Amino acid sequence: MIEPFAVPFMGRALTEIALLALICGPVSVFVFVRRLSFVSDALTHTVFPGVVVGFVAGGMDGLATGALVAGLLTAVVLTVLTRSARLTDDAATAVVLTAMFSIGVVLVSRRTSYTSDLTAFLFGRLLTVTPRQITETVALAVVILIALAIGARALIFRAFDQAGAAAAGLRIGRLDLWLNILLALVVVAAVRAVGTILVVALLIVPAAAARMVTDRLVPMAVIGTGLVLAGGYLGLLLSWTASLHYGIALTSASAVVLMLVLAYLLLLPVRLWRDRRRVPPIALQRKSPHELVG
Amino acid sequence: MNWWDDVMHRAVAEVVLVGALTGLIGVHVVVRRLSFFTMALTHATFPGVVAASIIGVNLLLGGVVTGTVVALGVAALTRRRGQDAAAATGVLVSGGFALGAALVATQSGFSRDLSSFLVGSILTVSAPDLVVTAVVLAVVALVLVLCSRPLLYAGFDPAGARASGVRAGGWDVVLLLTIVLVVVTVVPAVGTILALSMIVAPAAAARLWTDRLPVATLLAVTFAIASGLVGLYVSGRWNIAAGASVSLAATAVLVASWGLRRPRRIACGTRVRAVPA
Amino acid sequence: MTTAALRLDGVSVGYSGTPVVTGVDLELRPGQRLALVGPNGAGKSTLIKSVLGLAEILDGSATVLGHTPARARALTGYVPQTGNLDPDFPVSVRQVVMMGRYRQLGWWRPARAADRAAVREALDRVGLADRADVRFGLLSGGQRQRVLLARAIAAQPKLLLLDEPFNGVDAVSQEAIVRVLRELSAGGTALVLSTHDLAVARDLADLVCLINGRQWAVGTPAETLTAKPLRQTYGRSAIDLADGRMVLVEP
Repeated sequence: MIEPFAVPFMGRALTEIALLALICGPVSVFVFVRRLSFVSDALTHTVFPGVVVGFVAGGMDGLATGALVAGLLTAVVLTVLTRSARLTDDAATAVVLTAMFSIGVVLVSRRTSYTSDLTAFLFGRLLTVTPRQITETVALAVVILIALAIGARALIFRAFDQAGAAAAGLRIGRLDLWLNILLALVVVAAVRAVGTILVVALLIVPAAAARMVTDRLVPMAVIGTGLVLAGGYLGLLLSWTASLHYGIALTSASAVVLMLVLAYLLLLPVRLWRDRRRVPPIALQRKSPHELVG
Repeated sequence: MNWWDDVMHRAVAEVVLVGALTGLIGVHVVVRRLSFFTMALTHATFPGVVAASIIGVNLLLGGVVTGTVVALGVAALTRRRGQDAAAATGVLVSGGFALGAALVATQSGFSRDLSSFLVGSILTVSAPDLVVTAVVLAVVALVLVLCSRPLLYAGFDPAGARASGVRAGGWDVVLLLTIVLVVVTVVPAVGTILALSMIVAPAAAARLWTDRLPVATLLAVTFAIASGLVGLYVSGRWNIAAGASVSLAATAVLVASWGLRRPRRIACGTRVRAVPA
Repeated sequence: MTTAALRLDGVSVGYSGTPVVTGVDLELRPGQRLALVGPNGAGKSTLIKSVLGLAEILDGSATVLGHTPARARALTGYVPQTGNLDPDFPVSVRQVVMMGRYRQLGWWRPARAADRAAVREALDRVGLADRADVRFGLLSGGQRQRVLLARAIAAQPKLLLLDEPFNGVDAVSQEAIVRVLRELSAGGTALVLSTHDLAVARDLADLVCLINGRQWAVGTPAETLTAKPLRQTYGRSAIDLADGRMVLVEP
């Protein structure tokens, strides 16, 4: 089961996934406790116009810059909008997502090869990851993990008890911006190689699956990283086998996502079983009478 | 030549119907904070639609069946806990789309189908599509009008609703299934992104103008139809993707409403302020 | 002369420019216990938030331990209502109490023996030392309230503000909380707690402030918890009984 990864491009793909596993294990814990699934999903879509503009302006080099600018812009806009009381934060997120993505579509729809551009954006080009991209991912991984380590304590406090954190003197707005910018950086680091659909999965699924088996934050991050590693390995193997032996053009990104989702589904009964053993004494109160999801 | 034979005429009719449909359901989506659920539905019904096309049954049926399964799953999960529900919805988004893409991969014509899934193909709407949309519009309008009271009660105060004999959980499912129906009908014509945009943006704009739900619904329908027509015109005039231009028109309505309305304290449907009272 | 722990002069507080409570005048000395009494929606939480610098002071002046509210935050502690917290959050009781030390610890310095000792001692004082490794959400409502109190104690505040600390709290926990609060004020900590329970206010407080949209009375329990000011504060929810006593009916 090792020999497919002796092929250089498969080896590089696995290396890229392993780097992302290191980042996304811890980052997804914050996405989970702050309930930022939708924000993560939005960020993966909103970098699209940045990718398009960057590519038109500066070719492959401009692409990362464009994505970075669009990602940071979204992080700021989302932080500002969700702190204002005039729109519910899910509606604000939805509107930013659709508007930015539509701008991207408008920009590409004037070109001829528009559908293949979209497909590349969705699924990335995991199998054509270059050594240079891997170096860039390493650099971003270092930045992201350091920034996360510095902010972790304050971010957890804020996630658990917003009023208490504010009373203790933490600046809630800045903390929210900090986390959103970190998410944007993860998206930028990963989107070109693995595509939006895998980035969303990497930001949401690891911690959500790990939560099924543990109540603790650090084990959640570690298990999350392990799941991404396992899912990445199995997914790449699956897409390799599917295309080599069965002639099915299963993109490696989809295969990895499916493996991660499979892990989530397999661990779901563990959670239910654990809950049955100790029923929480007090029924959960909804955060808001209107809140049904997220 | 029949009026309906013109591509543009059919597109206009579809945009009006879709606008009415999304405006109606949008107010509920915005007030109940179901935007992410709606997004998840657009992706999670995708494998159902693909599977239906592979087996050769009606696409709408495939979408409705998958959507129902997803909605029931979400309803079961959200009764339990907050963090898990948000994450589970996120899992649906990525998992649903990846599964759909994997199913598409077993067929040919891969990339074209996927991008039309995202941005839709409103200019290829057929007369039967229009009939289906009209029927769904009638059904949804009927459900929302007949059930407006229990839906409102169950949404605003589930405990109180239960105490007075309204089965809150059951009505939640009714609302979720209505959203499923809308999403499944709208997505093939306008794509996932535009569907989300037309459901959320006009309703959010309407909420800025009024706290009264009937008025908000009327405004949302008007905004949605107007942005559909403007977007379609812009799309034809400057040759850009119709889905994207309609979505941007809807956003423009929201931005304009935001600018025109002064900030005020909104009684219902607002998120708790940064510092809850 | 010692500085007042809290001094409000003609204070109006609210959000986005809209006043919630107006005309509050009071002074609290170190070691005193103040109860804010009023019906639901009277503005008790908002007044507490303003002392923490989290709600706008629209008029008048507020001095907390000689500073403005926002600058005094290093000296104040806060116990929020437990109902607003997510019982599913993956943190242990020990982690929650350690949050009280975060201000001393800063952003990334690891916890030292002194911090761990402070956490242990705080948990011990509220009688939950044996539950330190349990997930917060698995505790009962009263125990959660005690954990949040321990978190506030771990920060060693000079002024402690509690928002409805006895809401949904069992008798054992209520007794434990009352005992700890008495110990704290004996040690010189000033306390502000909001409640709509008049018995609690009469028992525990040195000073009672009746509010409902505005301040109706302030003084000792004997002065304030009498028929006239209560009737003013509660309006038609206050019903006189034939024997001269009064009941308050929460709508």
